[in-house]
Amino acid sequence: MRSVTPKGSVQEAGTTVPSSEVVNAEPARFSKDWLTDRLLRNSMLIVMLLVITYFSYRSARFGTVDNLRTILIAAAPFALIALGQTLVILTGGIDLSVGSLIALAGMSSAWVAVHHPGQVWMTVGTALLAGLIVGSINGFLVAKVNVPPFIATLGMLTACSGMAYVIGGGAPINGLPKEFGNIANTAILGVQIPVLVMIVGILAFSVMMRRTSYGMRVYAVGGNRVAAEIAGVKASRTLFSVYAISGVLAGLSGVMLASRVISGAPTLGKGYELDAIAAVVIGGASLMGGRGTIWGTALGLFLIQTLNNGLDILTVPAYWQSVIKGVLIISAVAVDVWSTSRRRR
Amino acid sequence: MLHPSKFVTAVVTGVLAIGLSACGAGDSSKNAAGPGTSGGKIRVGVTVYNMSSFITAGKEGMTSFAAANNIELVWNSANDDVSTQASQVDQYINQKVDAIIVVPVQADSLGPQIDAAKKAKIPLLAVNAELNSTQLAGSVQPDDIAAGAGEMKMMADKLGGKGNIVILQGPLGGSGEINRGKGIASVLAKYPNIKVLAKDTANWKRDESVNKMKNWISAYGDKINGVVSENDDMGLGALQASKEAGKSVPIVGIDGIEDGLNAVKSGAFIGTMLQNGTVELSAGLAVAAKIARGEKVDLKPIYVMPKITKDNVDLAIKHVVTGRTAFLKQLPAMTTKNLQTGNIANEGI
Repeated sequence: MRSVTPKGSVQEAGTTVPSSEVVNAEPARFSKDWLTDRLLRNSMLIVMLLVITYFSYRSARFGTVDNLRTILIAAAPFALIALGQTLVILTGGIDLSVGSLIALAGMSSAWVAVHHPGQVWMTVGTALLAGLIVGSINGFLVAKVNVPPFIATLGMLTACSGMAYVIGGGAPINGLPKEFGNIANTAILGVQIPVLVMIVGILAFSVMMRRTSYGMRVYAVGGNRVAAEIAGVKASRTLFSVYAISGVLAGLSGVMLASRVISGAPTLGKGYELDAIAAVVIGGASLMGGRGTIWGTALGLFLIQTLNNGLDILTVPAYWQSVIKGVLIISAVAVDVWSTSRRRR
Repeated sequence: MLHPSKFVTAVVTGVLAIGLSACGAGDSSKNAAGPGTSGGKIRVGVTVYNMSSFITAGKEGMTSFAAANNIELVWNSANDDVSTQASQVDQYINQKVDAIIVVPVQADSLGPQIDAAKKAKIPLLAVNAELNSTQLAGSVQPDDIAAGAGEMKMMADKLGGKGNIVILQGPLGGSGEINRGKGIASVLAKYPNIKVLAKDTANWKRDESVNKMKNWISAYGDKINGVVSENDDMGLGALQASKEAGKSVPIVGIDGIEDGLNAVKSGAFIGTMLQNGTVELSAGLAVAAKIARGEKVDLKPIYVMPKITKDNVDLAIKHVVTGRTAFLKQLPAMTTKNLQTGNIANEGI
């Protein structure tokens, strides 16, 4: 493989070339290197296009507006937690508690719906509050007590799951009033509310991360915490905030999900945290922090959801879908790592 | 002045010592009246796959029966994990309970634990779902095959013997899915004009089945003439999916949970097979108690699920939902009577 050196620089034996110097050297446009580089950087986008093409070819019903809506409504709860997870992973952390938090939020809002029927805002508010409380506990543990995020959120995962059962007295909550279903099933201009929330969320978070100082602080803390603190960023506050945000989003996701199926199940959202992490990773974020985008996460999310939908349409059994998802996560990260190391040569 | 870490070690050791001795003291005071004496207090350890709607209802029945029959229930949920369930059985054996009831996560599991229980002379029963073992002290099972056949027959009659269906399955590998699937298949064999467009698992869950059904609607649209769901929860998810897509298809389920019975009443479900958790699990406990007390009992009674349609759903709702407390009160007596007649599913429906 021909290596590319910056024009005019001389690399002496034994010195380290700063990585930025090599990365800045663009290979000649449309050369083999350039094409390979572009292909690798956008590998997941290419996979997405291939997937869509394949499914459209195999089934005429795949590429319809109705099917698109089906994919969107299924994606909505996952999208919310993936957004929160992106922020958390950007700081170099991880939030394993979101799946159980969905259950806890769903159960609490269902409980409120049964005991205070007709108070829609109360049910949504309860779910958001539950999310905020748990997220804040996570944030406190990680930012102030310095518990490793994996451990802190793993502990909250277990605790929240248990709390979800406590609320229902060990049982799912049946017999919910029909109005509870309106939260998720009302459509504005033909678009269901969870889908609207998802679209607004993706757009808002994307703007926030790219254009506001908060977004910059998150990237800074994730990229190099010490340097960020020297530059005046209050790292512990930023860390606390990302977990709190992740919690609130999980709470919102929980009430939407419970409302869609009009039932409070303590198993709601079980395992969803892995889908959120998968979406973030497939989208190109680094688990070390500092690298990743909201649009990348959105791509990862929709890739997974499109696969779920297409494979169901082709009646591929559920367990095969898991295998494919796993292979995709590994390939996404492998390609990303390989292409980064390639660029550094 | 003790060094701080030494002080902490001393305190922790002290607390542990007190705690452990308290545990020991507790154990010795139990079993004062041996289980051998008929009606003496016995301890039964129960481990269930998960606290589903069905199991939670069943727990109420068990608790009611236990209170009326001098039984102490120890309860544990395995969170759908086979190894967790194995540890829970091991713990019960160590605690020397008088009987163990398992509602298994998987049919093919717990082999070593069953042998260990047998060795320790603790009767171990499988209730509500099967365990593949010849070493069980007893087994109280719903006739899942008959239930699957019953619901499929209801759908076949509704469709007039012709049409396309989709099937929502339970977790693959569990006896529920295996046996209900067998029942469904046995009826399908008699109706060559009913085609199965798609069949997949939604793991007993509504949020999984709503997306699965939505995707099938995308794939097949109006070609779907009916949904055969191996439990009510998944059927309700399918119902939600149909509503979202602006379609209405006949749906049939199994279990007769509160939301399912209401769906039968409103006509959203064409019917369901009632598996009254309170009745079934209390029957399981009754059999376990009799074995532990050395009394004669049918070791393998079968719970045959009554068919619920619009005609008899009101009585079912009364037993399961509206008149629940009254039903639970008379349950112990009804269970004891049912054990004698052999029809453990009988509740007058």
